[in-house]
Amino acid sequence: METPLREPTFLILTALAGEPLHGYGLIAEVDRLSGGRVSLRPGTLYGALDRLVDAGLVRVDHEEIVEGRLRRYYQLTEPGGEVLATETERMRRNVDAATARLRAIKAAPRLSGGVA
Amino acid sequence: MTDLERRYARWTALFYPAGYRRERGSELVDTYLSLAAPDRKRPSAADVADLAVGGLRQHLRIAQGLGPGFRLAGVLALATLAACATGWAIFEAVVPWAPWFPQRGPFLSSLGVPVWAAWLVAVVVYVAAPGRWFRGAVGLAVLVTAGSVVLAAMVPGVHRPPLFVLLPQVVLGIVALGAAGRQPRWVRQLPLAAAAAIVPVAVSTAPRFVFSGDFYYEAGATALPAAAVTLLIGGALLAFGLAARHDHRGVWALLILLTPIGMLALNPLSAMLDDTGPGRSIIPVWSHMVGASVLVLMVGLVSMPLAIAARGRLPSGGRPVHTDAVRCPTCGAPSASVR
Repeated sequence: METPLREPTFLILTALAGEPLHGYGLIAEVDRLSGGRVSLRPGTLYGALDRLVDAGLVRVDHEEIVEGRLRRYYQLTEPGGEVLATETERMRRNVDAATARLRAIKAAPRLSGGVA
Repeated sequence: MTDLERRYARWTALFYPAGYRRERGSELVDTYLSLAAPDRKRPSAADVADLAVGGLRQHLRIAQGLGPGFRLAGVLALATLAACATGWAIFEAVVPWAPWFPQRGPFLSSLGVPVWAAWLVAVVVYVAAPGRWFRGAVGLAVLVTAGSVVLAAMVPGVHRPPLFVLLPQVVLGIVALGAAGRQPRWVRQLPLAAAAAIVPVAVSTAPRFVFSGDFYYEAGATALPAAAVTLLIGGALLAFGLAARHDHRGVWALLILLTPIGMLALNPLSAMLDDTGPGRSIIPVWSHMVGASVLVLMVGLVSMPLAIAARGRLPSGGRPVHTDAVRCPTCGAPSASVR
């Protein structure tokens, strides 16, 4: 799996870092995690899940029948957890760097324009 | 089954490969139904677009060997264009000029020299830098080739290789881009080997011709179809050999190479469209050349999506969804129990 991860992929892995989720639950969780910014559609979601399963980052945990319909639950694998941790650390470093720069700007605001 | 469910199922059946549909179709449709508003009667346009894109991704996913097929086709195309550029460059250098032909030196009178030089530079760059630099070199060669056509039209007395020679070269160049990226050293040297192999053939054949601006027509009528047949037979042998080991990249490569093979065979293909009978010219008329090239292009553009779609219809056309869930040992249905 290529890194840095795209945002939907990152959010899917993050959503699966908790308990196993089925397709609809996963879409709802990604929507909640992103504050409504990322709303996955099923075709996109299952395409991403297939790639993650192929890469060994996600696996099918179990299946159950609810009201005559099959529900398949997905879970993060150990390598998936490692990728998520590495990616989170990379993003954290970026956030720290950006935060430090922004604090420095606020502490010492530059003068704009020439001296009157 | 509700109307909405039936409609989702119909769209899924249209876009997704059969194997994947059997494995995941109901799960996919159920998720759409869970997200749909209670009063919805038809899938939204966005859902249909999502299904179309998702289905295309699945078709590409199950087309095993497609990516390696592009790389293999790229190497074969690059070897062929290297041989062609070397052969034509030797012709430009060796073929004696007709005494009555207005000679102004090879660089002034024939734009073939810079064109073939640009393609040979791309071949050499591939050995040393098969990534970004190679792509740039191919782009430059395409520009030089296109520029030669424009320049020859603007400056009287300046000759260029005919379009039925330049067009296959450009198409081979585009396919050769598939070879870009990391490759073993021996693979990177294959195009150079093909160029070296053509040298004795070109050197021994070139003196039979006289340069009067049209030797391309005489030599091209034989040389290009010969290159097409060689590429076709070579590609087919590779495809059969690899398929025997359940490696399908050769089949994809052959499909990809159909367009450049057709372009190399424009001369005989155009002659087939010519119905003027036994008295027809050795060089097919312009309109038949255009007709044949459009036909070749259309066949090339249509054959790949058709092949990918056909692959999706095959019974083994889907990767299984790996699951650790317990299944019924008799019917194979998933168990209702959790874990």
